[in-house]
Amino acid sequence: MFSVLSYGRLVARAVLGGLSQTDPRAGGGGGGDYGLVTAGCGFGKDFRKGLLKKGACYGDDACFVARHRSADVLGVADGVGGWRDYGVDPSQFSGTLMRTCERLVKEGRFVPSNPIGILTTSYCELLQNKVPLLGSSTACIVVLDRTSHRLHTANLGDSGFLVVRGGEVVHRSDEQQHYFNTPFQLSIAPPEAEGVVLSDSPDAADSTSFDVQLGDIILTATDGLFDNMPDYMILQELKKLKNSNYESIQQTARSIAEQAHELAYDPNYMSPFAQFACDNGLNVRGGKPDDITVLLSIVAEYTD
Amino acid sequence: MSPVFPMLTVLTMFYYICLRRRARTATRGEMMNSHRTIESNSRTSPLHAEVVQYAKEVVDFSSHYGSENSMSYTMWNLAGVPNVFPSSGDFTQTAVFRTYGTWWDQCPSASLPFKRTPPNFQSQDYVELTFEQQVYPTAVHVLETYHPGAVIRILACSANPYSPIPPAEVRWEILWSERPTKVNASQARQFKPCIKQINFPTNLIRLEVNSSLLDYYTELDAVVLHGTKDKPVLSLKTSLIDMNDLEDDDYEEKDGCGMDSLNKKFSSTALREGPNNGYFDKLPYELIQLILNHLTLPDLCRLAQTCKLLNQHCCDPLQYIHLNLQPYWAKLNDTSLEFLQSRCTLVQWLNLSWTGNRGFISVAGFSRFLKVCGSELVRLELSCSHFLNETCLEIISEMCPNLQDLNLSSCDKLPPQAFNHIAKLCGLRRLVLYRTKIEQTALLSILNFCSELQHLSLGSCVMIEDYDVIASMIGAKCKKLRTLDLWRCKNITENGIAELASGCPLLEELDLGWCPTLQSSTGCFARLARQLPNLQKLFLTANRSVCDTDIEELACNCTRLRQLDILGKDTVYICFIFYFCFFFLRFFFFYFWESASGGGAKRGRQRIQTRFCADRLTAVSPMQGSNS
Repeated sequence: MFSVLSYGRLVARAVLGGLSQTDPRAGGGGGGDYGLVTAGCGFGKDFRKGLLKKGACYGDDACFVARHRSADVLGVADGVGGWRDYGVDPSQFSGTLMRTCERLVKEGRFVPSNPIGILTTSYCELLQNKVPLLGSSTACIVVLDRTSHRLHTANLGDSGFLVVRGGEVVHRSDEQQHYFNTPFQLSIAPPEAEGVVLSDSPDAADSTSFDVQLGDIILTATDGLFDNMPDYMILQELKKLKNSNYESIQQTARSIAEQAHELAYDPNYMSPFAQFACDNGLNVRGGKPDDITVLLSIVAEYTD
Repeated sequence: MSPVFPMLTVLTMFYYICLRRRARTATRGEMMNSHRTIESNSRTSPLHAEVVQYAKEVVDFSSHYGSENSMSYTMWNLAGVPNVFPSSGDFTQTAVFRTYGTWWDQCPSASLPFKRTPPNFQSQDYVELTFEQQVYPTAVHVLETYHPGAVIRILACSANPYSPIPPAEVRWEILWSERPTKVNASQARQFKPCIKQINFPTNLIRLEVNSSLLDYYTELDAVVLHGTKDKPVLSLKTSLIDMNDLEDDDYEEKDGCGMDSLNKKFSSTALREGPNNGYFDKLPYELIQLILNHLTLPDLCRLAQTCKLLNQHCCDPLQYIHLNLQPYWAKLNDTSLEFLQSRCTLVQWLNLSWTGNRGFISVAGFSRFLKVCGSELVRLELSCSHFLNETCLEIISEMCPNLQDLNLSSCDKLPPQAFNHIAKLCGLRRLVLYRTKIEQTALLSILNFCSELQHLSLGSCVMIEDYDVIASMIGAKCKKLRTLDLWRCKNITENGIAELASGCPLLEELDLGWCPTLQSSTGCFARLARQLPNLQKLFLTANRSVCDTDIEELACNCTRLRQLDILGKDTVYICFIFYFCFFFLRFFFFYFWESASGGGAKRGRQRIQTRFCADRLTAVSPMQGSNS
């Protein structure tokens, strides 16, 4: 009798002990935070500057990826090439804009739920240069709030992002255009041209927020990609992405960028850009040679 | 039942034995670990393990070039890893102070220096940085990226700003100090002064700078602190000696030996001739006072301890008409103020800038001092005095009815309501509110009541909503205004400028740097030039709309113009530079950038700094500014 009770006590203790060990994360710890694993690739339109210039510039495009304690942030900017005719290097503006955004994020001077604030502050910082920075560019900022699992985005112009889940596009950004081939843009013009040059305020950016899940793929790119590759081709490439380590993401990003780059110079291919032009009455065909910047990210568990 | 019972006992015994073994191995493992750590401690000898740290945070500074909420040219860039070094040039990611050279001392708003300022105190600005860990410093490196050579003093503090327990005693030690010297190169350098060893660990370093010999703004990128966690063994003796040295000013007294021998002479004659004051008895009172005028404050206090006659002279309030306590900020506390109180009843100029921080001076101590010594006060300098609060300003307004000059620059911890009390000082002629949090209503009431204002500085006052309202109030009430600093006043427009120009015709100095809402197309600059013929200094820094007509108007109307800072196009520079040859233009600083229209052939951007002496063109030196 006595032994049955003691045996029962032992068994009970063992069973309970075993149960309490099955829960892998008992509160606290790093579990539950999401992070972005990001890789980028791109091609400048001008072959002379086709290779990476200062690490994050492709032709007149620029991009950045930055982390802070509470969020992962990435962005792309497409410098408006028309400035070249006036003796201004378009890549300066977009490059400095992205580098300033990166600095802002690294120093924590931003609120994850307000990506437009990052653009506004960065634009104001550009105005603080003693030697004025001339030029204009579009911008697209994507912020992942690690703890709330929400993605906050701000898009000004015709760059943009896609969110792909289970092989389908679940979110995408809208292009902002004034008229054909003239996107919304942040700009700093010389004083005599201030009324003439198109200059949109950072507040004009489109802002969205939505939840993301583990395994979501976020593709942020300039119009060089979206104008040359329709969605189904992009999705095809993304299907080949099997796991969420950096090498495979880098591989996929490169293949997307390369494919877009090839299509851009194909004179007979009916690119989305050509399609849109035809819809607007312009009879064109072929790809659109442009700077291509692709940032591919996957939402994964955050590990330091 | 019977076969089960022995099986159960065997099982439980087995279980028990297994548990015990696991427990034993665990404790053995722990014991082994602790042994390992002890062994490793003795092997690595941490005495020589050097810790290298970049600054964690910038906690205090006296001024900076950038805007208050910006990352460009602000002091906060000094924290963290370098952004730019080793590149040279003008970059926004560096830390830049507000002034350079001697220009600000030569303009109408410059204030006179205090008497009795010790010659070894040359610091004009400072910045305080904290580091993560407290270490015994072995080296402090300053990464300067443009026009190096401004740092003249490095100090370390014994207090740890991150510890929750307030320290019992806060001490500052000078690690390195030198006279301002001119560095000829403007390129980046890693400044590695040889610092003294101290006997307390520190994580709070202060740099003091003097920019008067610089040709342009100095730009600092980062500060590196090398130190050891444990006290260096050999330094004990040397540090004792050094601390004694530090009690005095660290200026080598060339005349020290001379004084000593003279003193000996006097004392020996006194012994021979009887118990009186020797030759001092033969000198008239005012002559002794005149002699004592040349002593610095600590020497005056020491001299008072020598004999009764000199005590009487040294405690004479007439010696303390000008009281400059800024050079002694590191040691000045409530006790010092109390000690000086009895002698300072007639003080007229009082400089307490930089003093009292970290609990050295309390509100009560300051109030007591002012109650005794404030009645004759005419000039009060309280720049960067963070011990001030609303009560202090109230006391000032009550106890100092004759106050004419009040400097509260960089007192950014003062609450906005504290400034309401300044309006009671109706005789104010000079008011400096640079980088304070004053609000519009308080400022309007000050302008309303202080109609004697001649010098007003509102640089970087970010809490003011509408500068046009301020400008119209100034134009209406402050008719005697001679200098006005509206540096970085973000929203002043041509309406405000119009009111200013019509209301204050005596204006000699106007600083409108970085006011982006002013457009030349409205004609505001031309109007300024026409209505302010007495202008000697006009800063239109970073205003890209300044055009040829504006310069023409300035040249024709402002014949006394000596300092001009504009941002313009190359055409302006070429055509009108000769206009200024005939006038006493002393400072002409501007930028021009690649012309964006008409195919400017120039590549890159050039910055040209020209200085004119009298009416002769002396030097035009283009400096290649490198771009980020």
